[in-house]
Amino acid sequence: MFGKSLSFCLLSTLLIVGCQRGETERDLAATGKKSGSDKKITICLLPKIKGISYFSSCFNGARQAAEELGNVELIYDGPTDGDPKKQAEMIEQWTVDGVDAICVAPNAPDVVANAMKEARAAGVKVLTWDADGTQESRSFFVNQATAQSIGEGLVQAMVNDLGSEVVGDVVIISSDATAANQNAWIDVMKPALQKTNLTLATIKYPGENASHALADAQDVIEKYPNLKGMFGISAVTFPGAAEAVEQDGKTGQVLVTGLSTPNDMKKFVHSGTVKSVFLWNTLDLGYLTVHVAEALVSGELKEGATSFTAGRLGEKKIVADNILLGDILIFTKDNIDQYDF
Amino acid sequence: MSLWNRIRRFRGWHEATIALLLVSLLAVAGRLMPSFLRVDSQLLLSRHIWEVAILALGMTPIIITGGIDLSAGSTMGLCAVMFGLCLTASGSLTIGCLACVATGFACGALNGVLISRFRVHPLIVTLATFAGYRGIAEGISQGDSYSKFGDSFSGLARGSWIGIPRPGFLFAMLAIAGTVLLGRTPTGRFIYAIGHNQQAARYSGIAVERLKFWLYTASGLLASLATLVYVSRFDTAKADAGKGFELDVITAVVVGGTSIFGGRGSLLGTILGLLLIHETRLFVSRYWRTDELRSIVVGILLIGSVLVYRVCVRDRRA
Amino acid sequence: MRVSRKSFEAIWRRREFGLILLIAVISLIVATVDSGFLSREVWIDILVRCAPTSIVACGVMLVVVTGEIDISVGSLMAFLAAIMGLMISRNHGNLSCGWGLPATLLLGTVVGAITGGLVTWGRVPSIIVTLGLLTALRGMTTLMMRGENIDGLPEELTHLAKHGMLGLPVGVWVAALVIVVTQVLISGTPLGRRIYAVGSSPYSANLAGLSAHRLKLFVFAYTGFLTALATVVDVPRLPKIDFGIGQELELLVVTCVVVGGVSVSGGRGNLTGVMLGVLLMTMIRPVLTFLNIGETGEKWTKAVHGLFIMLAVVSDHACGRRSNQERVR
Repeated sequence: MFGKSLSFCLLSTLLIVGCQRGETERDLAATGKKSGSDKKITICLLPKIKGISYFSSCFNGARQAAEELGNVELIYDGPTDGDPKKQAEMIEQWTVDGVDAICVAPNAPDVVANAMKEARAAGVKVLTWDADGTQESRSFFVNQATAQSIGEGLVQAMVNDLGSEVVGDVVIISSDATAANQNAWIDVMKPALQKTNLTLATIKYPGENASHALADAQDVIEKYPNLKGMFGISAVTFPGAAEAVEQDGKTGQVLVTGLSTPNDMKKFVHSGTVKSVFLWNTLDLGYLTVHVAEALVSGELKEGATSFTAGRLGEKKIVADNILLGDILIFTKDNIDQYDF
Repeated sequence: MSLWNRIRRFRGWHEATIALLLVSLLAVAGRLMPSFLRVDSQLLLSRHIWEVAILALGMTPIIITGGIDLSAGSTMGLCAVMFGLCLTASGSLTIGCLACVATGFACGALNGVLISRFRVHPLIVTLATFAGYRGIAEGISQGDSYSKFGDSFSGLARGSWIGIPRPGFLFAMLAIAGTVLLGRTPTGRFIYAIGHNQQAARYSGIAVERLKFWLYTASGLLASLATLVYVSRFDTAKADAGKGFELDVITAVVVGGTSIFGGRGSLLGTILGLLLIHETRLFVSRYWRTDELRSIVVGILLIGSVLVYRVCVRDRRA
Repeated sequence: MRVSRKSFEAIWRRREFGLILLIAVISLIVATVDSGFLSREVWIDILVRCAPTSIVACGVMLVVVTGEIDISVGSLMAFLAAIMGLMISRNHGNLSCGWGLPATLLLGTVVGAITGGLVTWGRVPSIIVTLGLLTALRGMTTLMMRGENIDGLPEELTHLAKHGMLGLPVGVWVAALVIVVTQVLISGTPLGRRIYAVGSSPYSANLAGLSAHRLKLFVFAYTGFLTALATVVDVPRLPKIDFGIGQELELLVVTCVVVGGVSVSGGRGNLTGVMLGVLLMTMIRPVLTFLNIGETGEKWTKAVHGLFIMLAVVSDHACGRRSNQERVR
């Protein structure tokens, strides 16, 4: 008992002393929030998952924008495991640190909504990118493509590449059963597929795991003799599905399409297993996001605006809080080598 | 008693070391980043640790008996799903909460039965339920999430009374109850006895199996309470609630001085361990802003704290 | 209380027989739904997927037999994969395989040895060491990869891994070799007997003059080596190296080991059971695909995996084995 009380007293005393010290020094960030042009603006870029090439390429674009603008201090951090709770915690930490703007790519909009709302209430500018949050939690959403255009585009590409008369089965290889983006695309793809000659045989959920995606794709190829195509709708599972087709020697018999960064799919496009790879210019997405954030902080961009000029990207339309990046990019054999991300 | 004897008899060295480490960390952090020590931001960010803290209260006695509960996080997932399900089905928050608590009780009880009655090793049972409960939660919810429980409910985790976050009061009550139980009641002594030597405890007439059953059930109950805080904090109930928490909890308990072999440990140590881990993570996160470093630092802290203790202290056991 | 040798054998035999029966029954059930399940391609795929898991399971099994546990194998695999990739990929280090692969194997062994050292001389419980390594190694891997995936592994290596020799990927052959070597180690060498002795009763083993420390160090190093081996033969099969490799491998391997009949208290367990366990757990995925479970069913796959693990593990008791041997403290 004696030892324990001792530790406790020691601890409390030092904590109190320490806190005194902390409180005499003014919080740096509180002063930093003045909109003086001599002070650097801190913009935090929060991806869904830190460490995957999709978001790393967005970060590269964001870095370009930060360099161009000159007065931006860019912070790029996010959960390495994609945990939305960690995203919320990071937002809260940044709010306390007094940053100027937070750009969130929410993995689960409801989970981060409260943290984002509190950030806004504390004066931080909050916007979403890549995926949207709830209406009240952000000022703008930098949108690269709607679920509608992605889902329908994928189905259209499959039909075009296979040939519209081809009858057969297709399979969707998604990622986690809880992944919001993927589920939204699936909801669009299902009715779109019904209008074609292709039948959706099943949907597999291997999780963000390339090894499981490979296994599932192999099993699916074995099971459905009439399989004509696979949709790999996640940047982790798309290469896995294409790899399965190649390893089983089914290049040309089963076509794979999906979303991924071009670098990851170059070899499959060249070998013919994959004819179209969907994405958008992720560098531009990051670039645009930082420009929007900076403009929000400096007051250039106000709520309710209908257009915005973003550096080298030119003028972008704003429709109902959505700042539209532009069109989907489709990488094929002809153009995939021009891109390096 | 002479001073030297006092020092030799002093059994709070581990807790004192953790306290010292904590203070040094805060001192260093304070110098490198003055805003780190502000009381209001610390209190706000303490939000991140309340659920883990509540779980740790249940984990500590279990580890003191020489067992382990790896399923704490997965129990949270299942409780969250049941909460969301019942809330949506009935429209009543009370029913949701009751469902959550009942689920926690059932999950803990299942662990308890398998460990006490069927005498399966706790590591194995909880490893199995760790996978099983999470899987069931995902299956039932089909990956959907339930949300928007209203601002008053969110206030449970996000609000504060007299400056201190509300979950803190819940935690304080549970911690005080736990400390009294462990330190002052016969049951507490029995828990330590089981940890020291289970056979001897059994022969001494302690109802070992019954006590173990209730410990694991209590852990499940605490997990359900932690779930309520969690769900309120994020306004969302989803099957992935509590993912990864078991690692955090075990780290906090072990860093706090509870021996994984059992027989030694205290709630005060666990609280200090929690604080140390929390502050370390906060500091790494806010100063270096690299999420990868967080896991590395915590991993090293875990191994390091036990290593230093084992190397410096001659432990006659194992 | 020791069960007599004769009934002891009977229990063992019953366990493996039970596993074989279970595998056969499941296969038959699935075959009635879709006879394509019994085709050669499906089973070759299953065999190929079993390879890395069985290689690692050989090591983890020995660790568990000595009374310890190792849950860091998945993160170690990711760590080694990243280092291997950074060394031999033509986009990065571009070292030749002759340097890169042995270096990876050595590194794996060294990490295993460090783990063993912390457990034995550091007297840190193995659950703690491997738990800490689990998080730390994963963090280090992500940090090393700096957000980029690694590909561009040498052609010869990927070809061996995917197509290999004599029609089967090299992983299968390597796994077979490892299984044979491990079995010989267990049943044919004094080392093997000592490993079981240490797990069975550390106190008696110590009295008999066995160095528990050196034996445990060996099994951890062996596991590290095997993890590296599994990485080298299996990772080139994947389209690229990302930091998510090996996730949940530890859970899978420990499950296989327990399902296979190895006692967590140490001192008991046999390799055949563990390999059957690996086969059983690897089978689940294709079984679910072939069972035509439909969309809603697909969302239950994780639940099925989890429930399977639960049942498999709890039946450890139902098979008549009581872990009535408490660890001597």
